[in-house]
Amino acid sequence: MCVSTNELKEKIIESLRLQDVTPEQIEDEAPLFGTGLGLDSIDALELVVMLEKHYGIVIKDIEEGRPAFRSVRTLAEFIEAKQPAK
Amino acid sequence: MNKLVISAASAVTDADLATAKMGSRFGRMDLLSQLALLSVESLGIEFQTMDCSRIGVCMSVCAGSLATDIQYWKGQREVCGPSPTLFAYTLPSSAIGEIAIRYRLTGPNLCFVGSDAVLIPEARDLIERNEADGCICVACNVITAAASELIGIPPKAQARAAFLMRGANGFALAENHRDMESVCALACAGEFARNSAR
Repeated sequence: MCVSTNELKEKIIESLRLQDVTPEQIEDEAPLFGTGLGLDSIDALELVVMLEKHYGIVIKDIEEGRPAFRSVRTLAEFIEAKQPAK
Repeated sequence: MNKLVISAASAVTDADLATAKMGSRFGRMDLLSQLALLSVESLGIEFQTMDCSRIGVCMSVCAGSLATDIQYWKGQREVCGPSPTLFAYTLPSSAIGEIAIRYRLTGPNLCFVGSDAVLIPEARDLIERNEADGCICVACNVITAAASELIGIPPKAQARAAFLMRGANGFALAENHRDMESVCALACAGEFARNSAR
């Protein structure tokens, strides 16, 4: 299954309850944490829950998830690689 | 030495949240933190022009974080459990953290669960002991329907804020101005009189 970055951005906005932020304002390559979207450690936990809830992906080791959370693009690639083939 | 005055006061309810422009992170906060932060923002004070290490925050929360606690525990029944973000707000003093982050305040802070009658005396004490130059006082009353059912107090969602400092510009406190309602009434009446005189 191909994960649309736009759909993923919508899910990020919804799960993190970001106000006045649209998918268009989030760049595919921009860092999710620190600069860019400016997310923090609590947001990281919220994203882990979002991945499990919406994509059935369980991240057990934070080191495994770290590269995936660099940007929307890397997260989309991670979801695609982890999702079971249908 | 200058007397202690209330330089600004505000009151907000949940009805004010819909039109609040508080940035992208405001939405993730619980109701208590949103109201507390909005009430402080409504003071209209530019804290960045002051020494932020000398500004204290005193907050009272009438029912602690009960409303959020209930929401969090109800979340246990949801798929994947409760929101991790919500967990951060199951601490009654979390709103003080949000206020401190937003205005980069690093002065002393105090959180009281229960009546707001202690706020002004405690804030006054902080300033008189020279631990702070000014103190933000915030009184939050957040009783959701679920919390109301549990503790038998009618639902309410409001916050009052006031800024106590040494100075000449403001409303001098009298002995009977101990709770936040009377302090806000004093400031409102003073503003009204000041505006009428113009």
